[in-house]
Order: sequence, then C-alpha cells, then structure tokens
Amino acid sequence: MSLIDRKIRGFRLIDLVALGVLAAVILGVYLAKTIAGRERAEIATVEKQIDAEKARIRLLQAEVAHLEQPARIEALSSAHLGMVPVQARNEATLDNLGQVALGKKTP
Amino acid sequence: MSLAHPSFEAPGWRWLKARVWGLEHAFERARAAGKAEDDTRIRIFFVLTLFAVAFLVLAVGATRAALFSDAGRGGGYVGAVGAARADLVDRNGAMLAADLLHYGLYVDPREIWDADEVRRALRAALPDINRQRLEKVLRGERRGFVIAGLTPEQRARVHALGLPGVSFEPEERRVYPLGRTAAHLIGFADTGGVGLAGAERALNDVIRAGAPGKAAVPLSIDLRVQAALEDELYKAAAEFQPRGAVGVVTNVHTGEILGLASYPTYDPNQVAKASDDAKLNRAAASIYEMGSTFKAFTVAIGLDTGVATPSSTFDARQPFQLGYRTIKDYHAARKILTLVEVFQHSSNIGTAKLAESIGGERLSKYFADLGLTRPAKVELMESARPLTPRKWDMDAVASTSFGHGMNVSPLAVTSAMGALLNGGYLVPLTIRKLEPGQRPQGQRAISEQTSLQMLQIMRANVIGGSGKSANAPGLSVGGKTGTGEKYDPAIRGYSTQRQVSSFAAVFPTSGPVEADRYFVLILLDEPHGTAKTYGYSTGGWVAAPAAGRVIDRIAPFLHVKREPDLIKVVGEGSVAAAPLGDGH
Repeated sequence: MSLIDRKIRGFRLIDLVALGVLAAVILGVYLAKTIAGRERAEIATVEKQIDAEKARIRLLQAEVAHLEQPARIEALSSAHLGMVPVQARNEATLDNLGQVALGKKTP
Repeated sequence: MSLAHPSFEAPGWRWLKARVWGLEHAFERARAAGKAEDDTRIRIFFVLTLFAVAFLVLAVGATRAALFSDAGRGGGYVGAVGAARADLVDRNGAMLAADLLHYGLYVDPREIWDADEVRRALRAALPDINRQRLEKVLRGERRGFVIAGLTPEQRARVHALGLPGVSFEPEERRVYPLGRTAAHLIGFADTGGVGLAGAERALNDVIRAGAPGKAAVPLSIDLRVQAALEDELYKAAAEFQPRGAVGVVTNVHTGEILGLASYPTYDPNQVAKASDDAKLNRAAASIYEMGSTFKAFTVAIGLDTGVATPSSTFDARQPFQLGYRTIKDYHAARKILTLVEVFQHSSNIGTAKLAESIGGERLSKYFADLGLTRPAKVELMESARPLTPRKWDMDAVASTSFGHGMNVSPLAVTSAMGALLNGGYLVPLTIRKLEPGQRPQGQRAISEQTSLQMLQIMRANVIGGSGKSANAPGLSVGGKTGTGEKYDPAIRGYSTQRQVSSFAAVFPTSGPVEADRYFVLILLDEPHGTAKTYGYSTGGWVAAPAAGRVIDRIAPFLHVKREPDLIKVVGEGSVAAAPLGDGH
C-alpha cells in the first residue's frame, strides 16, 4: 500500500496531511495578518508622528526665516545695538588677520 | 468501519463526517478503479489542488497586503492635491516661499445648541473672521466653511474652546516668510496653486513639478545682496521721495539676477491688500527713457564700429544741430572733448556727433544686437516690450544716442550693459541659479576689445566724472549716470521737473575680461532734490551714491576683494564723492 493510499481511521493520510497543511496555512495567514496589522498600526502612528514633526519643522523653518528677515534684523540691530553696515576699514580677511591682531588698520 | 463514539457527537458533526465518508468511498461504489476519467479520487484530488492553489494565491496576496500595504500611512501632512508647489529658496538655500500646513474652519449648525456662545467665542479667538460668513453658516442647515488659513496655533486655540459643531480640515497654503523682501522677484501664487507673478508665475511648471518630492527650486538671488540692495534703495526712496524706484544686481557673465528690488513694494502674503502700483515690478514691467545711461551704448558702438577711439575728439563748444533738433549740454564744457571726456561730462553734443558718424542703420542694428529693441530675455513674464523709433532718421539717432526717444525696461538695460562689460556677449538674464562655474554662451554684440575699453571708460567716469559719488573703497567701481527727462503730455514736451535718474555701475572694472564682475543699476522715477543735493535730482546726486553704498555692502558677499591701492583714493573725503557738475 502506497503512502497516498494509506488510511488512518478510514481517512486517507494524504487528505489528513492536506487538511493539516490547510489549517497551518490558515493559521499562518491569520497570525501574519494579525501581527502585521498591529505592526502596521504602529508604523502608521510613527509615520503620522514623523509627518507631523516634518510639518512642525517646516513651520519652524518658516518662522525662523520670518524672524530673520534682513530688514527686520537690520532695524533691530540698528535701533537696539546701534549697529551699521560694515565699513571697508572694519573688514577682515584671512590675509590681514595678522594685522588685525597687531591692532593695525586693515585696508 | 465505524467512527469513534458517534453517540457523543453533535448531529452536525456526524453529518459532515458522513458526507466526507461518502465522498471518500464514492470511487468504490462507482467501481471505477483503473479508469482514470471516471476515478472520483482523481477528480477530488484535482478539485482539491485547484482550491489549494487558489488559497495559496489568496494567502500570498493577503500576506503581501498585510505587510507591504500603504494603507494607513501618512495622513498627518497631506497637501491639497493639484495645488502643491515646491519651495522657493535663494541661491544659498534660504527659504523664500513654501507650502505650509494650515487649517480651514468649518461649522455644523446642527450640532450647536448655543449659537450665541459659538459666535462670541469664535470672534474672540479669531478677530479676522468674516462675520457675515460666520452668521450665514450659523443660520444655515448644514456644515459650512467659515475661514481658511488657520495656523496650527490658531487651530489649537479654537480647538481648546471645545465648541460643538466646530471642525477643521487641513490645507496647504503658500507662505512667503520674508514678507516684502524680494516680493517682486518671488511673486505670488493663488490659492489654487497657480503662480500669478514673479518667479511663482515664470517657473510655475517647474515649481509644481517639484512639489511631490518637495524639491526646492533655487532662485538666482542672494538674500544678503537682496537685503543690502533693498535697504539702500528704500533709504534713497525715503530721502528723494520718488514715484518709484528700481534696483538690480546681476552677474554680467552668467546673467544671474542676484538682487532685484522695486519700490513701492508689497507683502505677497497679503496680495489683496496691495495696490496695483505696489505690485508693479518696475524693473521688468516698466519702461523708461533712460537718459545719459544710454551714452554707454553709443560710445561702445562708436568704438566697436571703429568710428572713434577713446582719444577721438568732439567739438562741444557750440550746440549741435542735427535734423530739426538743436542739441545742448546740460553742463556745457564749451570745449573740445575726447571721447572719454564726452562720457565723463555726459556731453549730449559729443554723443550726438558720435551717433551721427555711426549712422542710423548701424546704431539701430547694434541696439538690436544688445537686446534693446525687444523685451529683456528673462523668465519673468512681466518683461516689457520697449518703445523704439519707427524710423531711424537723424532725429531718432540723436535722441536715442543720449537715451531719449526710446523706452526700455531696467532689465533690458541691465542685460545690454552686461554685454558691454562681460567681453561682448549678450547673455540672457535669469532668475534661476546656475551651476557653479557655468557661464551661458551668449550672442556676441561687441568685441572683447571694446568691452575692455568700456570698463576703463566707465571707471574713468567714476574717478573723474559724473559718477564720483558711486565710488567704493578698493572696488574699482565704474559707471554711468543717467537723467532722462520725462515726456509730459500736458505740455507736449519733456518736463524739466520730472526725471528718471539712474546710475549703471560695474565692479570691479580691473582684472581680465573673464574675471567675476557684477552690474548694479539704481533708478529713481521722479525723485525730488533735497538741500543736501542742492536741489539736484539727477542720477549723479540721487542714484550714484546709493549704487556706491550697495556695492560697498555686497562686495564681501560676492567675494570681491578690495584693492588696497584704491582705498586711499576714495578715502579723501566728501569732495571726491561729489558728482561732477549737476551729475546729469
């Protein structure tokens, strides 16, 4: 008697094996779906957080750009600190840093 | 054969087992062994296989869907479909325009039991709310839109009130965080995501195409240069009270616009509140009779055609009759001038005599080669078409030689000046950042030799001519003043009271022709002289100083090194800074 024709309590072994495999596949898919669903929910939550943070970062970047408007900075620095645009004699380059250190006038 | 303990099994289970049992022994009953086509086992096996395959396919599909599905992702920051636009940044990456998450506020009156309370609370939280619209929604019968563009903070404030029937929907909104800075160059877009002005309009397709990946579109402007340009232009505007003003900074080799300012200006975040006058980009969309700034073109054409050399002389002792016009000098030198002196004194007589020698045909051809007879080549849709003489008779030749009878946009002048100063190539202007080292190949307009001569002549004009007040320490600034009288329809002639005063500057004029070089244009439309300028409102008095200050401030940003030898010359004091004569 071949393995395919062998019977256990009147049922062929091959049918029982197929049934077992079927049950295992069903269980596997169910578990995968359940676990993946949970993971997916977590991923979606994290991704939502990332998106929200990105939106917040963009808002902050825009806020920074707004606050750093050149005209605003200039007005504030002029009004509160008495600052003016850099004069040529106050400019320093890598070449004349030595002169600056020695207290000489920079060209 | 019997099944175990059948008496303890449920009828359903017994029935199922009987069915399976019957199926299992069907082949025996059919006595079909040995006949494959009638073998029930084979049929059963075949059907089972089909089911197994189908189930496996479903299993794989379900697993894939479970593990790799996009469903449920995102949702926190989803832009309005079709309206999204990429960010605009300056050449160094500073944000100029961006789509930001905002919220629209909706009210459902069916869920509200105290409309007065909701009305009062919303008005207090959102003072800008449209009261009529709110009232209409509150009195309506279904959910309605009340206000758009709430920031997350505003949304949180309203949300914290816990009002029933109030809900929010996310929406993208175009925001210009720099407000008025570079407003005319950046432009603005409508709520549907369509660019309506400036770069937003000119680069609309590029900006929209870049939106899905949020890839920023870099513009050519340098925010630092733009800021210095605007600051000095607005200071000049505050001092001389012009009707309008323009400032432009370009790289003459690449055509990149590094700064562009137009006065008056507006806030692109509040376009509806801005007047048409404020929204007008005078650099691109307005045309002017530029006056003596045009003499740079005439002199360059004279040199390029071989009609004159820098040492050629012109008799400016007497007014010059050309056609039916008598041409005079505003600040008559009453002497014989070399070509360089004609330029320095801004002599109309000398320039007209030069133009007569050039002739209308050649003059007009060169003007065309310099791009002065068509809208400036630049992405901006606002670029205006010039007004040019219908026929190039002697009157037109004389007028255009010193910047009258021909109206061009400041950007057209900028582009043409670039050709005079970059080695002779007319390079299209651009508002897009080019790759480092990239220099577009333009059309040759004048020779390299002429270009070098023009650099020297323009430098000479700042050292000892009408452009003295534009000098900046160590930067070998060159330039040409311009004061174009405006045509007054009321008197059917040119008004001596209404002028367009400008200064076209280049720096550094020293160095080889391929050296990095920048052009600065300052233009004031109908400025008013002050006591400080002795009542003069000419280019040398009102525009040249601003140009000099702009150059002085932006040179470090552009990595233009000061020449130590030149610093002392400028530092001699205020006398050196006063323009020659009336600075016309």
